[in-house]
Amino acid sequence: MSLMPSIINGASMGAIYRLIAMGLTLIFGTMRVTNFAHGAMLMLSMITAYSVWAATGINPYLLIVIIGPLMFFVGYATQLFLIRPVLKAESDKNDPIGVLLLTAGFSIVLENLALMIFGADYRMAQTDFSNTVFTFGRTSLSAPRLYGLIITLVVSALLWAFLQCTEPGRQLRATGQDRNTAALMGINSEQTFAVAFGISTALLAVAGLVLLPFYYVTPSVGNVFQTRAFIVVVLGGLGSVPGALVGGIIIGLIETVAAQFMTASVTSVLIYLVFLIVLFVKPSGLFGTPFH
Amino acid sequence: MQVKLTKQQQVKKWALIGVGLLLLCILPFLLPKAYFVHVAIMCLFWAYMSTSWNMLCGFAGTISLGHGIYVAAGAYIVTILLNTFGITPWVGLIASCVVASVMAVIIGFPIFNLRGAYYTLSTVAIGEGIVVLLTNFREWKISEDLTIKIGGAEGLTMQTMNSPLYMQWRGKIPYYFMILIMLIIAIVVSDYVKRNKLGFQLAAVKDDEDAARALGIDVRSVKLKAAILSAVFTALGGVFYALIIRFLEPAAVASGATMSNQIVFGAIVGGSGTVLGPAFGGLVLNLVSSVIQYYLGGSVQGLHLFIYGVIIVAMIIFKPTGFITVLEKLYYKYLGIEISDALDAPEEEVAVDGT
Repeated sequence: MSLMPSIINGASMGAIYRLIAMGLTLIFGTMRVTNFAHGAMLMLSMITAYSVWAATGINPYLLIVIIGPLMFFVGYATQLFLIRPVLKAESDKNDPIGVLLLTAGFSIVLENLALMIFGADYRMAQTDFSNTVFTFGRTSLSAPRLYGLIITLVVSALLWAFLQCTEPGRQLRATGQDRNTAALMGINSEQTFAVAFGISTALLAVAGLVLLPFYYVTPSVGNVFQTRAFIVVVLGGLGSVPGALVGGIIIGLIETVAAQFMTASVTSVLIYLVFLIVLFVKPSGLFGTPFH
Repeated sequence: MQVKLTKQQQVKKWALIGVGLLLLCILPFLLPKAYFVHVAIMCLFWAYMSTSWNMLCGFAGTISLGHGIYVAAGAYIVTILLNTFGITPWVGLIASCVVASVMAVIIGFPIFNLRGAYYTLSTVAIGEGIVVLLTNFREWKISEDLTIKIGGAEGLTMQTMNSPLYMQWRGKIPYYFMILIMLIIAIVVSDYVKRNKLGFQLAAVKDDEDAARALGIDVRSVKLKAAILSAVFTALGGVFYALIIRFLEPAAVASGATMSNQIVFGAIVGGSGTVLGPAFGGLVLNLVSSVIQYYLGGSVQGLHLFIYGVIIVAMIIFKPTGFITVLEKLYYKYLGIEISDALDAPEEEVAVDGT
């Protein structure tokens, strides 16, 4: 038995966790908000994408043209109308806990809204390439997973380039380092927060579309990914983008490689265990800076 | 707020408490349907849970989203002891308390080093980890003739005894009084803690952990004490849950969505860190959601939870200190005490101008 197939599968699933986690870490890095509605937002993007796909039958990957901007707008508006007032009221605290609970409440709203409109059924987008399998030597990988791996890698690279090389990216990083100093340098932090939130949800749009051809859609689909994304983010260090990259790979690999030796349920306990051990040994995560 | 009451105001205060208790005592006999009594029981149950959560998290300002594990500890231990060994819950609840406090210490020791979001996320991970464990262990074979049935994903049914010796009463009303008494005890204990040394230490930790440490407060031991208290009360709530529902499902008992988060929301909506706030919050939130479910639940799936979520979001945005502040104002008006707004205004609102 070779481990290669499971490693590649793990890498592709890990890449998706990573993409979801990067959005989470971006929000935390810039405004110290732990977004408990992240999974619900992912669900929102998947359900919208599924509905559009079911109505038109367009290749899901092309839907990014619609879903991407739409999700960006959703994130932008969420920040502006929901998060901002609460964040403002808590601006003297280091850890805005009210915001954390606000997003948790918002996820209930989103999930049940989806339940009311979409119903509780499990659905899956059966595209014409859903069952295609590529074989490289002795390993094989299904087409949606391979495409997913490529797309997430490209998007991760784009995000990195955006953060490093463009002016809005620089503003984002500056605000994350020190909100007040950044504001003194003339950066509109309100605007920056909203953009960060928008990018974070736009990343979810990509993740949702990548998942669509091989994963089921249901109003509670976000929960699994959200918990995983939290683990990835804390593992890598809250607020650290490279940390999210490494954390995603670690979790993806544990999940699939360990599944070769034990049952899937024990694997998920193992993930929580690794998570807790890292947290207790190095509370700031693998790449995080110690908190003050 | 600490106010010295005059004799007349004391009388007024106790009259209010007396009338409130009296109303709560006659309430179950006035409700026309057994279902309504059940709703009343569950409202008090959530009020009780939020109050128990508040003993650690409200007073010390740490948000735990994993209190479901203590509920599970209480519920599962009592049920397993009854089903497998025939031990009555009267004795089993002591075992539950012991296990819950041991869990609180084991978890609390490493986890109290973590702050803010890290602390919250690790409680989420522990909670979900326990759910996965409970879902996957159907039984535990100790020896040839001793197998402990845990139920796994199918769930675990509590054996029916129908005898007060096993805390299983006839009809719903005894359960109502059971949870009412538990709630009163929890509130009295909360009040006692808040007014005494532990409460002051917790308040200091909540305000500024480093400053509290600099003043000589052993932060970890203070938090551990509160954690044990909170865990024991939560586990007793779990025991009650097992007795009234008599069917335990890992996801329903311990998971974030159905248990831990609801406990927290009740406390936040009511006003975390106050003595009565969480109880009011848990009660009202559950009442509203039950009423909507009763009248509209059949028509649209998910509607009652949707409205439940909207209430939470609206409360956090518009009344972050919880609606206990509104009730408090009414209470002081009733007592005839003038309070100036400047004193009453929470610190956050003052600080907004500075940023």
